[in-house]
Amino acid sequence: MNRLNQAAAAARHAAAWLLPAGRRDWVTAIWAEAHEVPPGLARLAWRAGGAWVIAREALMPRRLGRAALFAAAAAAAAWAAWPQPGVGHAAVSRFHVVATVLLLAGLPLLARRFFGPATASRAGRFLRVFSCAAILALLPAFAIVEAFANLTPAQPAYRYVFCTAQGWSNVQGCSAVLGKSTGGPPWVGEIPLLLMTIAYLGVILFLTSRRSQVTRGTLAVGAGTGLLFGVVMYAVAPLGLTNGATDPWLPGSNADPLVALAWVLLFGGPAAAAALAAWRGRGPGGARLSRSVRIGQGIAAGVLANGTAALFTTAFGTGTVALMLKSPWLLHVLNHGHYLTAIAAYRYEANAGAGANVYLFMLIWFPVIGLFMSALAAACTTPGRPAPRELTPVPATPGNQ
Amino acid sequence: MTSSSGFSAQTLSVLAALCDEPSQWQHGYALAKQTGLKSGTLYPILIRLADRGLVEACWQDEPQPGRPRRHLYRLTAAGLASATAALARAARPKATKAARTPAVRGAVVGVVP
Repeated sequence: MNRLNQAAAAARHAAAWLLPAGRRDWVTAIWAEAHEVPPGLARLAWRAGGAWVIAREALMPRRLGRAALFAAAAAAAAWAAWPQPGVGHAAVSRFHVVATVLLLAGLPLLARRFFGPATASRAGRFLRVFSCAAILALLPAFAIVEAFANLTPAQPAYRYVFCTAQGWSNVQGCSAVLGKSTGGPPWVGEIPLLLMTIAYLGVILFLTSRRSQVTRGTLAVGAGTGLLFGVVMYAVAPLGLTNGATDPWLPGSNADPLVALAWVLLFGGPAAAAALAAWRGRGPGGARLSRSVRIGQGIAAGVLANGTAALFTTAFGTGTVALMLKSPWLLHVLNHGHYLTAIAAYRYEANAGAGANVYLFMLIWFPVIGLFMSALAAACTTPGRPAPRELTPVPATPGNQ
Repeated sequence: MTSSSGFSAQTLSVLAALCDEPSQWQHGYALAKQTGLKSGTLYPILIRLADRGLVEACWQDEPQPGRPRRHLYRLTAAGLASATAALARAARPKATKAARTPAVRGAVVGVVP
């Protein structure tokens, strides 16, 4: 019986870990109170009630539904991204799939423990679901693009195109063996990719948690600006940023209005979002926030704006490249119905496959630019509280005596 | 199932039990005995009331030897006002509906003039 009690206590400790900090006291309280209940069935029933409270608080039906939905989406993404037998980089790809799914499942639990529950905001919920969906969608998209980009074509005539797309300008030095994979992503490249996933998820989970105290308005401004910029950026670079891939889609000129708008949004978007969030910064009950808190709200909006845009562009861009590699009709649409010879079609595919890596640079640099621009804009547009004026005694005059 | 007071019958019974001696801290087991509620029903009600600022909770300062510290509960000032109003409202339209549990009946008798 003693061992049973110990096991029950250990299970209770483990289960309570799933609860947010504010709820753990209550579970401890129920267990402590059990000592006052007469031993036997009554005490057992009391403890069963405690277990029910844990289940209710940690695994509410809505959460179970969300967990089931996540499990189904993660299983589908992992199945689609799982490398085929015989692929040269199978071990790295398998590790990437498993590690990403574990991160997506585990980080929200850790965030709940350390940052508290998610904020009650539609924009916050959207950001969490969007980031999770985008990272899951990237799993099969990256797998398809990597498998294609690293596979040397079987036909000797295509070898030059392949080597050029890979950036190997000295074609004589192109050591790719026809019809073989060049090896795929290295282990060294896997670590930064996972760190980036952790950083994106961690920042979004923190900013959308109650502890961060980012207001609903800030989340809405950041998410809205990010989506707008993401749509424009995707229209500019639906197949990476290489001209060889984007030529059929856009003229590729820097003077193109859409490209100009993308540049404006890259720097102006987070700045505008930060200024707006800092200006609107209101606490509960409409209370005016302090200057430092409003600057913090501005920075959060700017980082969210460019981070959301980068994630949106990467997910949709890599997805488009992957779809194009699997579906010739998309290549036909992207070329406005023009007839392409087989080698010309391969040139676009090879350039798009190699150019998809550029999205990773967006994922790194867009939030950094957002951080810098939003800090600048929030600091410039948030005036400090005016210094209190010293009260000067009113000179005594016959009139006011 | 909520009554016209905005609280469920079980919540009203907990509020009524806490209203008996509003200044005194009460234990969970004592509240369970008073209201006839199981721990799995009582504690979620206490959690919700505490989240809404109607109930305050604290840990016992000096536990009995060999026993863990107990969690104590009482109504806040806002909670007392809210409970009094809710119990009065619940008593008004249908006295029988509000007086489903002994704790509610006792409180209604004590609170409603």
